[in-house]
Amino acid sequence: MKRNFKDDFNMMAMLLIPIAVAVNLVGFQLANVLRLPIFLDTIGTILVGVIAGPWVALLAGLITNLINAIFNPVYLPYALTSMAIGVGAGLLSKYGFFKKIPKTIVSGIIITFIAVIVSAPITVLVFGGATGNTSSLITATFLASGQQLWSAVFSSTFITEIADKVVSVLIVYFIVQKMSDRYLSKMNYGYLYMKRNNKK
Amino acid sequence: MKQNFLLQLHPLTKFYFSLFILVAVLIVPGYIFSFAVFPILVLIAILAGVTKEFLSIVLKALLSVLVIVFIMQMFFYPGDEVLWKAGIFSITQEGLDYGLLLTSRILAIGAVFILFFRMTEVRDFVKSLEDKGLPPMGAYVVLSTLQIIPEMRRQANTIMEAQKTRGVETEGSLFVRAKAFIPTLTPLILSSIASTEERAITLESRAFSAPVKKTSLHQLTKNSADRILPIVYVVILVGLLVWRFFL
Repeated sequence: MKRNFKDDFNMMAMLLIPIAVAVNLVGFQLANVLRLPIFLDTIGTILVGVIAGPWVALLAGLITNLINAIFNPVYLPYALTSMAIGVGAGLLSKYGFFKKIPKTIVSGIIITFIAVIVSAPITVLVFGGATGNTSSLITATFLASGQQLWSAVFSSTFITEIADKVVSVLIVYFIVQKMSDRYLSKMNYGYLYMKRNNKK
Repeated sequence: MKQNFLLQLHPLTKFYFSLFILVAVLIVPGYIFSFAVFPILVLIAILAGVTKEFLSIVLKALLSVLVIVFIMQMFFYPGDEVLWKAGIFSITQEGLDYGLLLTSRILAIGAVFILFFRMTEVRDFVKSLEDKGLPPMGAYVVLSTLQIIPEMRRQANTIMEAQKTRGVETEGSLFVRAKAFIPTLTPLILSSIASTEERAITLESRAFSAPVKKTSLHQLTKNSADRILPIVYVVILVGLLVWRFFL
């Protein structure tokens, strides 16, 4: 099915963006309240990518980081990471990666790689290797044990991201499974996950 | 009540000022200029009457980052001129310089954006972008996001309390706490997306997506300072560029 770029931005998709951004922030807050060791701050972006497509998710990622940056400008450069995660999730969904659990886990790993490849250079070039979150400690450990800066940042980012992203995509998978056909039929990529008439 | 002159500036004038500082800090070499920017920003904050919020957010958001970035560079930046050594840790002159450069830039750029958002209502900023050509849908998305966030925070707390009453454990081992995440998030997301349909109907009933020019209740005005200041920024930047690369 050929799809026009502009078709992705229909009103239902645009109205999903504020929800996605709020889910990103609330997810992060809940993870804090429950004292979980992962961030879970991209659930909304991935969810939008899965049901509304890569370009809407790109916008959702961008807006998430812009709004975070109002109170903490450190988030601003990482807008690129959020946008890349959104596009990645959208493309994976288009090729049917979120239909079954095993493929969903694979897509979680792919999204981890996307996140690491985009965010590690930002950490190195903008912040010189550490921004004060948990992965900074791991980076410092690697550096002290004699690794080069780039490989230390790449590996520490990977370690902190992998669990986060795999859990996030699984949560998204379960939530999409619970959505009603009636709502999914209004989203651009919703037909992939409808329980009835799953033929198109 | 007479409004503060700085706060009355057009949002874009203030935004261009942030971009001006960003570019200036990246053009001028060395850390002295970048560190000098911060007192200027504090002065502007005092004149605009937003000192307290400005400083508290700078402390909360930037201090820990600056300390960690500085320590990282001091210990791990490669260099030959060793100043101090203990075991595997050594501080080099190059590391110290690079740490100061990096922290000064992060401080100046971070602080100017914090100052911008303390001096500008997001609503005004979005309106000014809309005047510049941002589609009304984009403006609506940003503004409604700001509204929805506190609403969904409250809702998340309500759902968590309700689930606790049902017997979902939120204390205990990591696994137990992790299991509480999904029963809280799923109802939150599903109920929120159900509400988007109502929003869509409300917007459409006011002809939101009709292909005509929109009118707005909220208008922004430009005064003479808003016309002059952007030109001043550009002149100073061109001057800095010429000084940096041709002299």
